Amino acid sequence: MQPDAISANTTPAPEGAVPSGRTLPEGEALLSVRGLKKVYSTDGGPIEAVRNLTFDLGHGELACLVGPSGSGKTTLLKIIAGLLGATEGEVLLDGKKVTGPPKKMAVVFQEYGRSLFPWLRVADNVELPLKNAGVPKEERRERVAAALEAVGLAHVPKSYPWQLSGGMQQRVAIARAVAYQPEVLLMDEPFAAVDAQTRADLEDLTRRLWKDLGMTILFVTHDIDESVYLGERVIILSSSPTVVQEDIVIDLPVDRTQLETREMPRFTELRHHVYEQIQLAKKGHRPDAAH
Amino acid sequence: MSAEVLKPGRAAQPRTARTGARRSVPKPVLGLLGVLGFLLVWEAVPAVGLVEARFLPPASEVIIALVRDFGLTAFWLAVGHTLMAWAIGLAVAVVSAGVLGLVIGMSPFLRRFTNSTIEFLRPVPSVALIPLAVLLFGVKIESSLMLIIYACFWQVLIQVLYGVADVDNVATQTAQSYGFSRFQRVRDVVFPTVLPYLMTGLRLGASVALILAITAELIIGSPGLGREIADAQSGGAISGMYALVLATGLLGVAINIVMRQAEQRLLAWHPSVRGEAVL
Amino acid sequence: MKTLKNLGYVLALPVLLVLLWWVSTRGEPNFFVPTPAALVDVFGPTWFEGRITADVLPSVARLLAGLAIAIILGIAVGLLVGLNRTLRALTEPVFEFFRALPPPVLVPVLILLVGLNDAMKVAVIVVGCIWPVLLNTIEGVRSIDPVQNETTRSYGISGMNRIRYQVLPSAAPTIMAGIRQSLSIGLILMVISEMFGSSSGLGFTILQFQRSFAIPEMWSGILVLGLIGLALSLIFQWCERRVLRWYHGLKEVENAA
Repeated sequence: MQPDAISANTTPAPEGAVPSGRTLPEGEALLSVRGLKKVYSTDGGPIEAVRNLTFDLGHGELACLVGPSGSGKTTLLKIIAGLLGATEGEVLLDGKKVTGPPKKMAVVFQEYGRSLFPWLRVADNVELPLKNAGVPKEERRERVAAALEAVGLAHVPKSYPWQLSGGMQQRVAIARAVAYQPEVLLMDEPFAAVDAQTRADLEDLTRRLWKDLGMTILFVTHDIDESVYLGERVIILSSSPTVVQEDIVIDLPVDRTQLETREMPRFTELRHHVYEQIQLAKKGHRPDAAH
Repeated sequence: MSAEVLKPGRAAQPRTARTGARRSVPKPVLGLLGVLGFLLVWEAVPAVGLVEARFLPPASEVIIALVRDFGLTAFWLAVGHTLMAWAIGLAVAVVSAGVLGLVIGMSPFLRRFTNSTIEFLRPVPSVALIPLAVLLFGVKIESSLMLIIYACFWQVLIQVLYGVADVDNVATQTAQSYGFSRFQRVRDVVFPTVLPYLMTGLRLGASVALILAITAELIIGSPGLGREIADAQSGGAISGMYALVLATGLLGVAINIVMRQAEQRLLAWHPSVRGEAVL
Repeated sequence: MKTLKNLGYVLALPVLLVLLWWVSTRGEPNFFVPTPAALVDVFGPTWFEGRITADVLPSVARLLAGLAIAIILGIAVGLLVGLNRTLRALTEPVFEFFRALPPPVLVPVLILLVGLNDAMKVAVIVVGCIWPVLLNTIEGVRSIDPVQNETTRSYGISGMNRIRYQVLPSAAPTIMAGIRQSLSIGLILMVISEMFGSSSGLGFTILQFQRSFAIPEMWSGILVLGLIGLALSLIFQWCERRVLRWYHGLKEVENAA
């Protein structure tokens, strides 16, 4: 194992500065997270969930955010999605500051059963955001059909979500996001609640959608294998209060398969590296100057 | 089949952490402010002449009348009469519906045999029995009891039937395989399952019983708060009437609180403190 | 064969009860209970020669009007209060008081405030029936799943669209439970508002039969009230099953798991 072989993305931090993820020159980034800090006020006093997070996401990237449990991943995602306000710092989408849920962003939640509306049929669930956005009827129909086709659910538009299996329900939620045609798709541990085989299928589906539709995806997970298999880039978070522990490039081939990719020595190396970093994070090790 | 429920069960799923409880005013204070606001509006409506004071006396006058009532034996006697009809009627309904519900619920034959009759009689409003009650009992307390028992009986019976239907088949079979007698099975398997449903029936029945106790007193004239209200109205003692209405409401609130507390206390030990069926 | 057996189960007990009634009133006439034949004889002439248009239909019309107003108002105010945490805390104790207030006491109060007229009778039904709908709407809106709320927010669904597509359907099961309670309260109030100082309507008519000791007619009136109650309950169940088809299906799936 040669850690040097892992190409770290992390911008070398000037002396005394907090380490950050990879940043892009101004104007090139689609999504910019700058100095994000989140402090919850609770009955037992303030709790610092996120200390200082900075990274950029370019057009068409597929990046995974991975970190130990309780590292504020969901908090971070909700702030990026505009569902939660930050205490300090800012999130920029296309150079514009995110203050509420932006129009060109879609979120796929972990709790598919609670995120889909049980009173709407599958196609109606996918259609609702488009209807709300005022998309004309004919176009709506086409986009819904195409999205259901893309996730392999063209045969059940008239079913209710609760008549489907967990994996299929999550496909509906993904189809809803795809039909919405967001610039950035945020996925919050979307496959944590489905069984292992379904999970593998959904991972491949995610890669395929990214490749075919050219979407930009930020994928949050606590699963190290998943992050390496899925991502073109993995951003490792420290334990809470969270900073970026490391930001690495996943230099695996673009066409990945569950069997072959996972057996590649390079996959094992990368997984090993991410695993070590997470273990370090759990023990409380933090990158320099982030204490 | 659906259960009638006053308050639907609290959402079962865990809630995401509330971020920053930044409410400046605590909830009970807001509630108190709401009550004060209500009383102020009430005070102002007759004062500015929106409604004549002889039809709606200001809140202060009514509260004074209520406080005066609290010192009168006649008032407490009326409360006692109302509560007595309420308690006896509720008790008879709960016991009879409880026993009948267990018997019917545990026999698939009886369940099918009685279903149409129950579904037909249940929606019959108990106030339809008012003339019959007057004919049979006049202004005696039995009139109130007849209406209360009829109305509460169905509430409790339906809940008990749901409860028996909810008994776990595996538990019944286990009890059978261990050679439990029929009595043991009812005591150790059926009754614990039914208890939460019975409590729901009791709580629903309690407020229905109060409604019908007051109705009987108001319309038929059996002794109690309802009759006092009718008397005050026909005698032109308007603030007295409003004071009694206020007292009736407070009695209703007290009954609700006691019933909710009793339910929680009694079922705290229960392993399956169930979320109430919403429908 | 199966349907015949089902029909047997449906009819057996009612037939048995009527038989029992017939046998027990066959001997010497009972002052309080007429024979089934006497009740049947008296039913038609009592109700279908004028009273149906003079008393029954106006009563039912007032009931339906009152219920409709109570349901619409209850849902509208319930949405307003339920969606606002401060408003909810502010109104809770006052609303709890009105929920606990036995609705029949509203009759003398509204006679004072509105007068002895049709408006009063409708007002009694509105003021009595609104609380279960209102409080259940508040509760239904309050207990909406937070993930569901985040979903609508992230897709920018807000305002009227959010109420129409998310809040109302999500709270519908709780609201329907409230409406069901309102139906029985409404029927009680319809009858007693007519019994308490009125000179027409179903409640008044039945009480009048009792006062003039027209016993078979009185019983036929009880029967009419029972039939109205039954019809109301059947109509409600039909509507409920249509509106909440998804909900019952969902519950079935959850219970089977």
